[in-house]
Amino acid sequence: MKLPLRELRRQPNRFVVAVVVLSFLATLLLFLGGLLDGLYLGSTGAIRAQQGDAIVYSASARDSFLRSRITGDVRTTVEHVEGVTEVGGLGFTLLGAKVPGTSDLADVAVAGYEIPPKGVPAPQADGKGVADDRLQDFGAKVGDTILVGPSASPIVITGFVHDTGYLLQSTVWVNLSTWRAVQNANRPDAAVHDDVVQALVVKGAGDLPKAIDAATAGATKTLTNDQAVLSLPGVKQQRDTFNQIIYTTMAVVLAVVGLFFSLLTLERLGLYGVLKAIGASSRRLFMGVLVQALVIAIIAFVIGSVLASIAAALLPASVPLQLVPSRFVSTFIGLVLAAAFGSAVSLRRVTRVDPASAIGTGS
Amino acid sequence: MRRAKARFGLLAGAVGLLIFLILFQQALLGGLVSQFIGALEHQSGEVLVYNDQARKNLEGSVILPGILEQVQAVPTVGEASPLGESTFTVTAGGKERDTVLFGYVLGKPGAPTTLIQGRLPQGANEGVASEKDRADGYDIGDVVQIQPDGVKITVVGVARDINYSVNPVLFVDFPTFEAAKRVRNPDATEILASAIAVTPKAGSSPSAVVADINAAVKGVQALTRQQAVDGSPGVSSVKSSFAIILLLFYLVVPLVTGLFFLIVTFQKASALTLLRAIGAPASALVRALLVQVVVIMVAGSIIAFGLYAGAIQGVKNLGVHVEVMPAVITSLVVLVLALITSLVAVRRVLRLDPLSATTGGGVHV
Repeated sequence: MKLPLRELRRQPNRFVVAVVVLSFLATLLLFLGGLLDGLYLGSTGAIRAQQGDAIVYSASARDSFLRSRITGDVRTTVEHVEGVTEVGGLGFTLLGAKVPGTSDLADVAVAGYEIPPKGVPAPQADGKGVADDRLQDFGAKVGDTILVGPSASPIVITGFVHDTGYLLQSTVWVNLSTWRAVQNANRPDAAVHDDVVQALVVKGAGDLPKAIDAATAGATKTLTNDQAVLSLPGVKQQRDTFNQIIYTTMAVVLAVVGLFFSLLTLERLGLYGVLKAIGASSRRLFMGVLVQALVIAIIAFVIGSVLASIAAALLPASVPLQLVPSRFVSTFIGLVLAAAFGSAVSLRRVTRVDPASAIGTGS
Repeated sequence: MRRAKARFGLLAGAVGLLIFLILFQQALLGGLVSQFIGALEHQSGEVLVYNDQARKNLEGSVILPGILEQVQAVPTVGEASPLGESTFTVTAGGKERDTVLFGYVLGKPGAPTTLIQGRLPQGANEGVASEKDRADGYDIGDVVQIQPDGVKITVVGVARDINYSVNPVLFVDFPTFEAAKRVRNPDATEILASAIAVTPKAGSSPSAVVADINAAVKGVQALTRQQAVDGSPGVSSVKSSFAIILLLFYLVVPLVTGLFFLIVTFQKASALTLLRAIGAPASALVRALLVQVVVIMVAGSIIAFGLYAGAIQGVKNLGVHVEVMPAVITSLVVLVLALITSLVAVRRVLRLDPLSATTGGGVHV
């Protein structure tokens, strides 16, 4: 193993261009993944944070909160379904908000709730709420009164919670009566009565979706939390499209590594002949190629990570780039695997090297 | 190249994949943007007035009572009328689907401008649908019903590029829009327009009307149609995100090509030096190198176009089609960039010293 590493140390110029290209590809992979994560996490936080076991929509809503409408009698039916232990209302209103001391409006989702989502305290008094911490980017502080919607409905911010965004907007968690007041004042065409919510968060055991939809005679459509996350507008499509681009880019990494090492192997055929003539096995020679491929991939990953992190710091907030540790891990694994498989292209040439060629022309 | 098919084939394949990604993402970007805001871009209101709290988001805008009259009173405004927008669950083609309704006052601003077949609505419960969605139950004569058990809208016309938020669209008269909203929410106290569609008075420009409305009416944000399109939520972030991704891809393609030909030049240094020593001019060697670059890039572009044509079939729901011209332009741009990065290899070729072939001291490039 010393020979390939020594070559990397003594002749770094030979590998520089491959490292540069792979670094760009690593940056690209992290950037694509970061965008996907930013879009996914920013859009789905409010639903991922729900602590229920299922979410109930009205049947005709096609899994859209804004189109769903659950009346009091449907709620009562759900509460009496076998296996259901707790039911809470949920509603969202997307509005602009004026934060004190700022001239720009912030996008917020005012969310009314009963069962506290992860990290969110129990519902507070009317007119008070906790906000997702992305509202701090707009200058909001604890104690501020933000004015939401065209009717400038006031909400006092009493605290901040992390990772509860909804459709890339900062969620402001309020009690149901405050949500209804905000909804009715600012969206008269979507006004709701006192017993109406958009959806129900349900805790319980057993096959809740099946039991609830059967009990309401098809008036509801019940999803598990994971299904509800994927039913948010655009989430599944974004994920599928970005993943396709990421996988194709990974194929390019594989091709680039394969190309580079097949050329390098061609260049070294004479040397391999000599090494085989003095006793080196094909396995040992190929392991040398593999080690070099892995070292290059690791260096490229480090450079790519630094470049992607710099890009994330410099980009405007409108680009929803979010680099999370799991993305670094998956990109690292992907790069290392692509490098390993790419270097395998050289395997055939290495095994076909004839030691006798070292005695003849040496090529 | 004939004798080292695997080597050059691998490079052509890698370049092909990269160009394919560029073509695919460009098509995706164009398709996404068009599908996000087509209806806004292709309606007849040259100026759109939003609630100033909406942050240029039509879905987040409501026109409060009294605003329409104030806008109509602005001297440079020709016609101004309400424009409603909302997403509904409908039954179309026997299936439940999401559909965006645009409600406008018949004969006033807000009508679709790209009608290609049929006619505009002439009364209640008639609509114009997008050409892209014809096969899904939105063709002329098809009936689309708002759920649950709401108004039935007959498609009387089909227009090009009028989708919105990547959903099918129906342009209907405002009372039909109001009826649909009441089906969705019987508790609604009032159905408000989302925006006001405006046409300027003869002799006034849209930008002048925008300035006049913003100066005269409080609580609104007037925008030209193009400003409304460009400022729509999602459009600017999608554009900037894709721009960065495409920039990186445009950097990687020439780098990969340049890397390959640089290595090949290193490998062939002895042979090239010998050729120079027996009288081959440097220009001939450079020409040969550049011919190889062009052949690889053309082969890569052909592979990319094949992949692109196949991949487009998978995203036809975005209304994107295989277009030859953008593919040719992209291939030319990438070819030029590859030729530029190959100049490093060209420089190495030009620096070859024919004398070193005779000294036995090795060739240095």
